[in-house]
Amino acid sequence: MSDIKLNFIVIDDSKLDCFIAEKIIKNTGRSENCNVFQQATDALEYIKTAQVNGLKTIVFVDIQMPVMNGFEFVESFEKLSDGQKESYCIYMLSSSINENDIAKVKGYSSVKHFLNKPLTNDTIKAVLEDY
Amino acid sequence: MDSKKKIKVLYVDDESNNLISFKASFRFDYNVLLANNTDEALKHLEANSDISVILSDQKMPDMTGVEFFEKIRPQYPNPIRILITGYTDIESVINAINRGHVFRYIKKPWTDVDVQSAIDEAHKFYVTTSMLALKNDELQKAYNELDKFAYSATHDMRGPILSVLGIIDLAKNADDIEDIKEMIEMMENAMLKLDNYIQNLHDHYSIRRGELNITEIDFNDIMKDMSDLYDITSKLKNVSFDKSVSQEGKFRSDDISIKIIVNNLLSNAFKYQRKNTDEKNVKLDMKVSNGAAVIVVEDNGIGIPESSLDQVFTMFFRGSNDEIGSGFGLYNVKDALNKINGKIEVQSKENSGTTFKVIIPSK
Repeated sequence: MSDIKLNFIVIDDSKLDCFIAEKIIKNTGRSENCNVFQQATDALEYIKTAQVNGLKTIVFVDIQMPVMNGFEFVESFEKLSDGQKESYCIYMLSSSINENDIAKVKGYSSVKHFLNKPLTNDTIKAVLEDY
Repeated sequence: MDSKKKIKVLYVDDESNNLISFKASFRFDYNVLLANNTDEALKHLEANSDISVILSDQKMPDMTGVEFFEKIRPQYPNPIRILITGYTDIESVINAINRGHVFRYIKKPWTDVDVQSAIDEAHKFYVTTSMLALKNDELQKAYNELDKFAYSATHDMRGPILSVLGIIDLAKNADDIEDIKEMIEMMENAMLKLDNYIQNLHDHYSIRRGELNITEIDFNDIMKDMSDLYDITSKLKNVSFDKSVSQEGKFRSDDISIKIIVNNLLSNAFKYQRKNTDEKNVKLDMKVSNGAAVIVVEDNGIGIPESSLDQVFTMFFRGSNDEIGSGFGLYNVKDALNKINGKIEVQSKENSGTTFKVIIPSK
């Protein structure tokens, strides 16, 4: 398994799920840095102004959130310039088993995969092999 | 007799004598509107949305009764149509049914009994059809809500469960006791959130399905209940809680609905406080006078952005990330108010506070 460092961004309105994601990410030993946002709007601002450190960034974003939901986040993200977007890999997370949501995720070119909650050691291992 | 309760009937005929004798015969039984031509009839239809039966003569100079019915049906589909005619050839009967969609066919000269029975039957049909349309609307609304519910339930009920499962997965490999304690606390929060959601859900269905139980209400009792619930919260969260109640005269309403309303508003007022301020405050004022209760819940918390003000009563709408919200509370408030004919107004300014004012009439 490769040991290249990665950046991580977690976007979830639930503090608890952020905590879980952060722990699991740190446990992988692959994280250069891990930023956690409870509001998608804040994450978007961060991405717009972030300094590129030459590493890939894995983004985990929850679908159902107040103010700006996961889909709205991805739509706004897709409007950014190619230069801003290229180092990001987005994964959408949800507790919903809603067919519409799953189908909708497939419609976004910038989203790699749809993942079921909760994030576990096994799912993150799969992600790290896949991105 | 109360004219409102009389069946409203419109009769169109170019012969004034017919109109006069019709009114003479039926004005005691029905609320009769007369029209000498189809233009006049249209004016009546426009002004009276509650006409339930229309009778028309077939042979009129500007158009036939069948043509008239054919013309008005798209715009006024609900009133039941009865054709009155001297001609009884089979062709005109077929036309009347197929083109004019008439309910009954009355032969001239009519007998009062025939007309009366036709009108009464038509009205019955009108009522049944209107009820059906109303029930269909209600059913559609219930279906929409159910869809919304099914979608939200997976998120709001599964969410906390999945979080706890996630933490359990983490905890299995955790060694540090402090870490584990933190995780337990988080699991507790997740379960509290789930419990809060289920309680709201229970409120929701008790408002929906529950029959109103109208009793005399003493607002001092309601205030005591609210004190029992929120005095501790007030201390724990360091939010001062000002209470005032005054009641002149008796007040009758549904006790549970009122408690659900006040409880939800208070719960929000305590929940959506600004973090970095020392003077957190919630006010509850309940006044009863002149047969109406005015309940004001005021806080100096985070407020509601103007752009979301009109959405706060929508089911599952959540305006903030900061706190555990189910998106159920204010929807339940609105629902309960609808049941007891109450009204609610909201005023809010971001970062300065929110005031809800509820007005409930005594039953």
